[in-house]
This record gives sequence, C-alpha cells and structure tokens, in this order.
Amino acid sequence: MATSTEAISVAALSKSFGSAKALDGLDLSVATGEVHGFLGPNGSGKTTTIRVLLGLLRPDAGRVRMLDGDPWRDAVALHRRLAYVPGDVTLWPGITGGEVIDLLGRMRGGLDQRRRDELLERFDLDPRKKARAYSKGNRQKVALIAALASDAELLLLDEPTSGLDPLMESVFQECIQQVKRQGRTVLLSSHILAEVEALCDRVSIIRLGRTVESGTLTELRHLTRTSISVETARPLAGIEALTGVHDMVLADHHARFDVDSAELDTVVRRLAPLGVRSLTSTPPTLEEMFLRHYGDDRAAGEKVAS
Amino acid sequence: MTGTGGLLRFLLRRERAGLPWWLLGATLLVLVQSLQSQKLYGSPEALERLRHTIGGNTAVIAMSGPTRLLGAIGGEVVFEIFAFAAIVVALMNMFLVGRHTRAEEETGRAELIRSARVGRPAPLTAALTLAAVANVAVGALIVAVAVGTGLPAAGSVLFGAAMTAVGLVFAALTAVAAQVFENVRAVYGAVALILGAAYVLRAAGDVGGGALSWLSPIGWGQRTFPYTGDRWWPLLLPLGLSVLLVAAASALLRRRDFGAGLVAARPGRARAARSLRNAYALSWRLQRASLLGWAVGLGLLGVAYGSIADSIEQYIRDNPEVAQFLPGGAADVVDAYLALTVGLSALIAAAYGVTSALRIRAEETSGRAEPLLATATSRLTWLAGQLSVALTGSALALLTFGLGEGAAYGLIISDAGQVPRMAAVALAYLPAVWLVVAVVVLVLGWLPRPSAALAWTGVGYCAVVALFADSFDLPGWSQRASPFAHTPRVPLADPALTPLLVILALTVACLAGGYAGLRRRDIGY
Ligand SMILES: Nc1ncnc2c1ncn2[C@@H]1O[C@H](COP(=O)(O)OP(=O)(O)OP(=O)(O)O)[C@@H](O)[C@H]1O
Ligand SMILES: [Mg+2]
Repeated sequence: MATSTEAISVAALSKSFGSAKALDGLDLSVATGEVHGFLGPNGSGKTTTIRVLLGLLRPDAGRVRMLDGDPWRDAVALHRRLAYVPGDVTLWPGITGGEVIDLLGRMRGGLDQRRRDELLERFDLDPRKKARAYSKGNRQKVALIAALASDAELLLLDEPTSGLDPLMESVFQECIQQVKRQGRTVLLSSHILAEVEALCDRVSIIRLGRTVESGTLTELRHLTRTSISVETARPLAGIEALTGVHDMVLADHHARFDVDSAELDTVVRRLAPLGVRSLTSTPPTLEEMFLRHYGDDRAAGEKVAS
Repeated sequence: MTGTGGLLRFLLRRERAGLPWWLLGATLLVLVQSLQSQKLYGSPEALERLRHTIGGNTAVIAMSGPTRLLGAIGGEVVFEIFAFAAIVVALMNMFLVGRHTRAEEETGRAELIRSARVGRPAPLTAALTLAAVANVAVGALIVAVAVGTGLPAAGSVLFGAAMTAVGLVFAALTAVAAQVFENVRAVYGAVALILGAAYVLRAAGDVGGGALSWLSPIGWGQRTFPYTGDRWWPLLLPLGLSVLLVAAASALLRRRDFGAGLVAARPGRARAARSLRNAYALSWRLQRASLLGWAVGLGLLGVAYGSIADSIEQYIRDNPEVAQFLPGGAADVVDAYLALTVGLSALIAAAYGVTSALRIRAEETSGRAEPLLATATSRLTWLAGQLSVALTGSALALLTFGLGEGAAYGLIISDAGQVPRMAAVALAYLPAVWLVVAVVVLVLGWLPRPSAALAWTGVGYCAVVALFADSFDLPGWSQRASPFAHTPRVPLADPALTPLLVILALTVACLAGGYAGLRRRDIGY
C-alpha cells in the first residue's frame, strides 16, 4: 500500500459532537485518479468526514492522510491542491456570483479565466447577480464553477448536484468525466444513484459513522442477490435447500427466487441437469442494493432512538 | 390576517428566552434609580440643592432631560433614567420587529411560514402585536416598580404610559424600515441612526430653548412631566405617529415582492475587482457600509455634543459666582463635559467593535467560513482579516467623534486647536475599546456558542459602570473589571500612560489567547 497511489486514506476515524457520535471508526481509501462515490443515509457522517478532510474538524481518534499530508496540521498547504464544494452553499449578500468565483479562485492560488468563462456558459449562470438573487440551484452552480475552474488535483464534492436540474446534472457529469480523464481525483458524496453509477470507479457506503461496504460497483453487486426466474423439464426439487437461495416461489417446473451473488455459480450448476427451458436473471439494481443498507440503518437508528 | 394568532403564539415561544431579559433590564434601571434617588434626594432640601447644582450643569441636562422634572422626587427619577430606559426599550423593539420580519424573510424561513395558511401581512402583524405586548408589559412593570418604591400613583402611571408610547414608535419605525431595506443589518442601522438622532435632538432641545426636543420621541415622553406636571396630551404625538407608520408599513408591504426591498437590487460586477483577492479585502468589502454608517453616526454625535459644549462656557460667564465654587473654574466644567461625552462615544465605538467581531461567529455558523477556510487561507489570516475591520473600524469611529466634537466646539469658540486636541483625547479611550473587542475574540476562541450573549453582557456591564456608577452609588470593586474605569478621564484628568499600556498589553494577550483557542477547536461547531 504505497501512500503515493492513495489520495485519501482514513482509518478508524472517530468524531463526536458532545455526546453524539458522528463518526465511529470510519475507514475510507481513495486511490489517486479515481472518482470515488461516498454514500450513506442522511446523518450517517459524510459531511463530517469531508470536514475532517478539510481540517475544519479535529478528529477524536483514527488516522487521516490526504495527499500525503495531515489535513489538520498541513491544512493550508493541502488546500492549495484541492477544491471543495459544500453541500449547502451560502454566499455573502451583496456580492455577485462572478465575484465569489474569482475570490475563491484567487484565495486558492489562481484560477483559469478561460475555463471559468467556459463553465459559466455551460452551466448557464449569470455572474452579475447578487448572492441574494440566486436560486438554490444557482448558488450551487457558483460553488461548482469555482471548484471546477481550478486545476486542483483533488476535488471534494459534498452533494454537489443537489438542486440542479437534469440538464445541469448532465453538464456536471460531463465535467467530472473530463476531470477524470485528466487523471485528477474526486471524492463525490451523493444521494443520486444514477450519478454515482455513471461516474464512480469505486464507492464506499457508510452507516452510523462506520464504513459498511467499499469496492467497485461490480464487487458490491456481488455481495447482494440476483433474482432468478427459471423453467425446467424436470421438477425443481432440492433447490430451495441450497445455501444462498431465498424467497423461493415454486410451482413444479417453474420457480422464482433470489440467490446470493456469490452462490450463483453453484446454483446454476445444480439447475443445469434439470433441463433448463428458460432462465432470466436480473442483477440487483443500485437502488435495491442501497435500500438494503439504508434500510438496516433505519432499523438500527430506531433502536438507538427508542 | 389569517394565521396571525398561531404565528403570535409561535413568536412568543421563540422569544421566551430573550424578551424577559430586555423587560428585566429596563425595569431594573428604573428600580435602582428610584431607590437611589429617594435615598440621596428624599428630603425637600436635598432636592432643592440638586436643582441648584444641576440647573447650571449643562452636561447633565444634555445627558438626561429637561430640568422642570426636578420639581419632585419622582420627576428626578424620570429625569435621570427616562432617556436611558427609553434607549433600552427602543432597541428591544428594533430587534423584536426586525428579527421576526426582515430577518426571517432574508433567511428564507418566512417562505415556509408564508406557504402555510398564513396571510401576507400576518408576520408583520404578529411581530407588531408582540412588540405592543412587550411595550405594555414594560409600561406596567415600570408602574409597578415606581409605585412599589413609594412614588405617587398618578405620576407613575404616566411614566409607564410614556415609556410604552416611546416603545411603540420604534416598533412602528422598524416595521417601515423592514419594508424599505432588503437586509436586516440595514434595518437596524437606519433605526439606530434615528434613535441616536432622537437622543441628540432632545439633548440639544433640553439645553437650549426646548423646541428641538419636540422633534424627538424621547423628548415627547419626557415632556409629559410625570410627577411634576402630569400632562397626558403629549402622548398623542407618539401614538399618532405610530399609527401613521404602521399604516405606511402595511401599504409598502402590499406593494412589494416577497424578499424584495423598496429599491430593487441592481446587477453587479461579472468579475471581481483586482483588489478582491484575500480574506482582508473580503472583510472590508462586506463591512465597509456598516462601518461608514457607524463612523458618520458618531461623527454627527460629536458635532452635536461639541456645539452644546459652548453653552456651558456661556453659563459660567453669565454666573461668575458659580465658577468661584468650581476648583478649576469654567475650564474644568467644560473638560468634565468633554470627558463624559468622549467616554460615552467610546462605549458606542466598543459596541461597534463587538458587532464587527461577532460577525466572525456569524460567518462560521452560516457556513460562509467553510469555503474560505477550504482555500489556502489559514485560520489566522481569516481571523485577522475580520479583526482588522473591528479594530481599525472602532478607532476610525472614535476618531470621527473626536474630530466632530473638536470641530464643532472649536468653531464656536474660534479655536482650531480643538480639532487635534479632541482627536487625541478620543484616542486615549481606544485601548479600552480594543480590550472589549479582544475579550470577544477570547470568547470566540474558547466559548464560541454563548459568545454573543457573553459579549453583550460585557458591553452592558461597561455601560452600566460608566453611566451609572455615580448615580447608583456602585461600590468601587464592582467597577474594576471595566477597562473604561481605568482609562484616565482626559481632558479632565491628566493623561497617564501606564494604565493605557497595561490595557494594551491585556488586549494583545486576549487576542493571542483567542487565536490559540480558535486554532485548536472545530470550525462551525
Ligand atoms: N455541528 C454539529 N453539532 C452536533 N451534531 C452534529 C454537527 N454536525 C453534524 N452532527 C451530527 O453528526 C451526524 C453526521 O452528520 P453529517 O452532516 O456528517 O451527515 P451526512 O452524512 O452528511 O448527512 P446528509 O446526507 O443529510 O448530508 C448527524 O447525526 C448530525 O446530527
Ligand atoms: Mg451532508
């Protein structure tokens, strides 16, 4: 595990606010050059993690490295190399969007004027409006353009597209694809699964301040179940008892069931001798995958609350 | 009107932690003053002596009110405390109405409420009703305290009613300002300016012929002459004006868009000016308008006080026998007056410094600090950027006061030398002002959550010590924590360098301590 190939590496990170534990032993590893999806239900600790990475919050315990530095100690030096988009953009009343973009760019150490103008055009933002006159989506665009106009090697994006319309969402995805081609690293917290699916090389799912899954989407799919609908020549006996088979609905020659993706191979081998007439397999959608993780969280959350 | 009742209950709930303190503050002022005055001037002879000494002391008249009030002990209480209590009540109304109208609209919270089954004027109506309730409560409490401490009932009722009436004017005034300006800071600025003008106008009127006092709501309240004349008709002025202002506010409300002011926002620059490139530039850009307001306000206050200073000279010249009894002669009386007014302006400059320093916390909690601190800006630079405004700004505000007072006074006595003299005098109070700001920074570093409450408690303490230490007969030890108590009262007293250097050293220590706290704590928590 050479550190230089890892843009972000977090191990056993904990952070409490008073008695409330926001992060509880979180692990996160983002490789240089990848777009990493950061997912989890509301209040699971995504924003808190990003604030720790920005050196705004001091970790209670754990090891945090970013761009080969310590986010708390080396904040200023690291910030020259990263750009950040907050989830909830508040701007200064009386200052225009164009001024905010320029100011943030200059404070980071310069911005590319040509790219700034191009982004303003692509995101269709009027830079002459005062902050108060911007809608939520337009405030979000101001922060996005300020970040994307930089040539920072790491982008920390906290729900950057909340409030953007579908057209702007696709512009955003194009921009991130471009960033990816340039070999830059992105940490993208998001609730928009289509966006995650389109952009992310790997994802981490967190729940109650702890990482529950991490890997490529294919790997994660592997951890969940595939739905199978099958019709065979001979009766489907004994399949139900196989490990990894769930929710079987059986009618002699026809069956529908879910199977753990890891057991898929074994189950299909057992089906073959029965003379398969038709077989459809549906991989789990991203939604199903997350509902499983998020749903558990709801149950656990209720237990804590009661 | 739909929804006003529900909204009002909601506002009362939100105010239950804040409003009682305002009511308590105003009531306590009257309570302490009444007890103190009756102890010191309870006998007719003592009151007679007081009438004599104060009759010639323009400084005290300018600070307090018309001398006709001194005809009875109850009137003496009104004389000493009415103007100050009226300022407290006016500020209470300003914050009450501003907070629940324009501030709510600005943050967008009002949108949520409006979208419910609530009529367009409901928030304004609810806020004004709440203010009216608060004003009646303040009036009733004053009556209770005055009667309770043994003052005549008829005068006490008028005293309370006058305070209620003054409060209503400022509630209505804030309601209008909240329609005109898009931004709640501008609303507060405008109302505070009018409050300052009201205080100065009545000061000028009371010292002079009295005509100017009739332009001031505070003057109207005082000129009911509770206990000494008991006339009710001047209260028609504040009540009538309140009705007119409320009507104006609702007319404006009907004509404007949600979130908008009277003047539509113009589009601004597409690109930032070359100079807008760091935390310093941003702070100055954000605060220049409010600093200008405070500096101009203090400058005008200086001009007003400076022009009154002359009538003290005049009085001493007309009554040489009075001068005989004053140790330093006429010059001392004027210097005492100048020291008193500069001391007052230093308190106002400190209040400005505190509002400016507290913006640091507002930037943090609003989330606006986050994108800045995520750039190559260190916490020290971010803090220093905003502090540079608080420190330089309070110095500028104090200086404009000194220049204004020196210019007006110098013009009248034909002595240009008063301008640099008064500027230097004003700056002697600067270390104390800075120490107040530095203590706020210390609190921001270590106790960020209650910082606003702690900061204003500190300012309130300094104000009480400076304004009421003598009339309330406060023990010496209780004043020692105020840096103003250690500042030599120039030009009356000789300037002494040592206390100023000690205060400056403490200032530096507090600033360093505050930064040390800010450096190690979480931002935004
Ligand atoms: N300043 C704070 N004070 C107290 N608790 C906080 C603070 N900030 C965050 N928390 C708590 O920490 C937990 C994690 O919050 P965080 O904002 O990191 O969640 P999130 O994953 O970003 O949620 P969302 O998807 O809604 O943005 C929550 O339970 C939240 O209430
Ligand atoms: Mg969040």
